[in-house]
Amino acid sequence: MKYSVIVLFLLINSNFLIAAEEQLTNDQQEMYQAIIQEVRCLVCQNQSIAESNADLAKDLRAQILEQVITGKTKNEIKSYLLNRYGDFVLYQPVFSQKTLLLWVSPIILLIFIVGWYRKISH
Amino acid sequence: MKRYLPIILFLVLFISLLQSLFQDEMDIPSPLIGKNMPSFSLKRLGENTTITDQDLLGEVALINVWATWCVGCKEEHELLLSLAEEPSINLSIIGINWKDQDQLAIRWLDELGNPYQEILSDPIGNTAIDFGVYGAPESFLIDRDGFIRYKHIGPLTLSVWINEIQPLIKELKQ
Repeated sequence: MKYSVIVLFLLINSNFLIAAEEQLTNDQQEMYQAIIQEVRCLVCQNQSIAESNADLAKDLRAQILEQVITGKTKNEIKSYLLNRYGDFVLYQPVFSQKTLLLWVSPIILLIFIVGWYRKISH
Repeated sequence: MKRYLPIILFLVLFISLLQSLFQDEMDIPSPLIGKNMPSFSLKRLGENTTITDQDLLGEVALINVWATWCVGCKEEHELLLSLAEEPSINLSIIGINWKDQDQLAIRWLDELGNPYQEILSDPIGNTAIDFGVYGAPESFLIDRDGFIRYKHIGPLTLSVWINEIQPLIKELKQ
């Protein structure tokens, strides 16, 4: 009995999500899909919340969907997530003082390698 | 010197990669440390009265996110009980019952004992999301002004309590 109530609740819940997803305009749908594919599921790392069936992933999808419907921009939704879960939650880290080395190190390495290569080829 | 440069570079890379191999991936630093706790208004477990973040101000509090379906919560329960029962510790432990059912939670506490001064019921989990919770149990230390000072992900252990939380509480109570 208890389980059937839970199952029913989940069904209603997921139907609600699907129904809400169908209401989106094409642009909103696109934005929603783009965001959920960029957000890491922290429970099951290495999956995005678009792929994950974890409870928290569902909750976050519902949150994001709600915010898309209320007209929040992509950046607003991203900073909503960043403020709660930190840089790690986005697959593409934001450019900030903390991630500066991460973004710049490939360029430095490339310069270094080019310099070294030119030297040995002389 | 120049001859060794590639080897030095290799070693630097090797050591930094090796180090991250042993890092605990679940231990993600929270951006909420040092910030005000998120505002909320939740029902007390099994009651119709509400409690807000404002009600928690004025005292150092340990906010513990738990659920009956959470295995790690049972693990740390004994420790929470002994912290609550020890008068010299004098810490208010606040529970957030996360994505759970009130009856199940009440029965659980009846069976195992209740370490919480207040228990907030968050069945949908929106407040937990505001706290950046992604897996129970999680614990937050809140100072008198409502700032989050510390977060622990996973079951609390005696060594975490002694080495990390207790010294911080001492500091915050001064």
